[in-house]
Amino acid sequence: MLAYIVRRLLIVPVLLLGVTLLIFAMLSMLTPYERASLYVTDIPKRQGAIDGIIEKYGLNDPIHIQYWNWMVGRKDPDTGEIKGGVLRGDLGFSKVGKSSVAEVIGRRLPATAELALWSAVPMIGIGVWLGVLSAVHHNKLLDQVLRVFSIVGWSIPTFVFGLLVLMVFYARLGWFPPSRLSDWASRIVQSDAFTRYTQLNTIDALLNLRFDIFLDSLRHLVLPVTTLTYLNWALMLRVTRSSMLDTLRQDYITTARSKGLAENVVIWKHAVSNGLIPIVTIGGLVLIGLLNGVVITETVFNYPGMGSFLAQAALSLDVISVLGITLFSSVVLVCGNLLVDVLYGFIDPRIRLH
Amino acid sequence: MKVVKKLLTNPASLAGIILLVLFAVVAVAAPRMAPPPENSRDPYMIPRDGFSTMPEGPSDVHPLGTTEGQYDIYYGVIWGTRTAFRVGVVITIFTSIVGLTIGSVAAYYGGWIDEVLMRVTEIFQAFPFLLAAITLSSVLQTIYGRGEAGPLMFLAKILALLTFGHNPTEQVDPIQLQILTGMLAIIFFGWMTYARVIRGNILAVRDLEYALAARTIGASNLRILFRHLLPNAVFPVLVIASMDTGSYVLTFAALSFLGLGAQRGYADWGQMISFARSWIPSLANHWYIVVYPGVAIVLFVLAWNLVGDALRDILDPRMRGKGGGL
Repeated sequence: MLAYIVRRLLIVPVLLLGVTLLIFAMLSMLTPYERASLYVTDIPKRQGAIDGIIEKYGLNDPIHIQYWNWMVGRKDPDTGEIKGGVLRGDLGFSKVGKSSVAEVIGRRLPATAELALWSAVPMIGIGVWLGVLSAVHHNKLLDQVLRVFSIVGWSIPTFVFGLLVLMVFYARLGWFPPSRLSDWASRIVQSDAFTRYTQLNTIDALLNLRFDIFLDSLRHLVLPVTTLTYLNWALMLRVTRSSMLDTLRQDYITTARSKGLAENVVIWKHAVSNGLIPIVTIGGLVLIGLLNGVVITETVFNYPGMGSFLAQAALSLDVISVLGITLFSSVVLVCGNLLVDVLYGFIDPRIRLH
Repeated sequence: MKVVKKLLTNPASLAGIILLVLFAVVAVAAPRMAPPPENSRDPYMIPRDGFSTMPEGPSDVHPLGTTEGQYDIYYGVIWGTRTAFRVGVVITIFTSIVGLTIGSVAAYYGGWIDEVLMRVTEIFQAFPFLLAAITLSSVLQTIYGRGEAGPLMFLAKILALLTFGHNPTEQVDPIQLQILTGMLAIIFFGWMTYARVIRGNILAVRDLEYALAARTIGASNLRILFRHLLPNAVFPVLVIASMDTGSYVLTFAALSFLGLGAQRGYADWGQMISFARSWIPSLANHWYIVVYPGVAIVLFVLAWNLVGDALRDILDPRMRGKGGGL
């Protein structure tokens, strides 16, 4: 198992390096003027200021030097100290966000994280449960219905689903509004009376013993969470189903049945625990689904997270912000996949005991 | 062929094929079903009946209603069929060519070439697909918007020729250019699955008996690759390609919805639905903006998915088994 984990760990720096190279390649397709935003910390006040920045930060230097400076930081010719650099978390200045990209991510990430966390459990839980059901009732009515549900769900664009549920549950019924909090709740959350612990509205509301804000927050989360998860149910259903079908065909299942064990025990104790091993790899797919899904979902529901900011920035052609957020998301994905693979190494006894 | 017969007898794939045929008929008959107004410069720009910002419901004049700015939804849905086919098919062709090339080269040469190409594939896969498409889209739009794009303009012209039948000696129309940036972005980040699959299949059959036999009688490596390995490896690619066409249409619709793919007023389903974004509180009254183009997208993608799913079921035993050629 150690060899497996070490091998996985060694690939990660290569992947991360490759990701930065690709992002930098896209960055260098811009002119020095456009790239000057990387080094601006405030909104430039004079026209000539940009030329000065290009000169000062060597945006006309040879490309490999620029890459080095971009990654590691550049020595400020005035003060002599090394500042900036992607490795230090400096991703440039965001035109749309009017602050550094890193700050924007810091501001918007909690909202996205809250949405993702509330979505992950239903996504995995219900998706896997439906897949097991489908496999167990293989080729019977329930299986057929679930397969239809899966393939139709796979064909509906996220934004269409989101707009449809908004239409029914907000415009017509008024049950679940878009955005993150109602105005009255927002005011309280931003006031001094409310202490921020985690930046997640639901958790903070509970910690502040404000159950009304907690409920309001949940109310705003229902539709985005449903939208974010339904597409992934379709995927998870299919993967779980095929994995379970393979498992149920195995000899040890027949043995368990012939021993006289109740069908329930056979399925949930033996089949599922083995059949779920490949499903751990779904963790990677879930992460991708979340990272991709939040962009559209947050835009449709006017939810102030990282995804909606990316959409806004892209529309305004604020390329620096877009590149910065994509770099951040890719790093998250690489690390997430590493975690999933290591976990898989622990769970699969064939790897663990090797 | 057996595969075609099986496709036609499976009810799900039959439904998919019928849907695709229906869409194809609509696409071909578009000028007859929704004739463009006489003085229109580009039939793909939806005609506007006035400039009022209030969307109107279905009526005699506008059977499916109008959006804000009075764009006719019926016209958009009909001509949008053409856009969907063009975008989906062209993207699939290019992603599969790129992926097949890279995958074949990796599998065929092996060694460090294989290692490098596979690492490159993994690096591309480290980017969440939609984010990468959005990113490259905005970068390309900045570059093309500047006016001097060099080699990238060359790429755009090839794509324009295939998608719109555009004359490569002329400047690319800015409206089409924006669509092309979306397509290029998707192609650039969409080829990896093809590369992996073709590489896996070639590796699986490379050492089989008939390849060894061919080598024994003196067939050159290239001949083996083309006459024996590729045909066997290519069928799984068909499966992926048919399902991917739907997925590329979805991604492009998402880009258009966000304002990055087709421009405002262009006959593209995703673009039309983005009109609904300004009317969310009263969406129940303006349901037609979402429902009609939305149903079009869902049915179109569903059709491709049904066919692809059925193809996969038919070819699966052959994919899993490592036995001889077809």
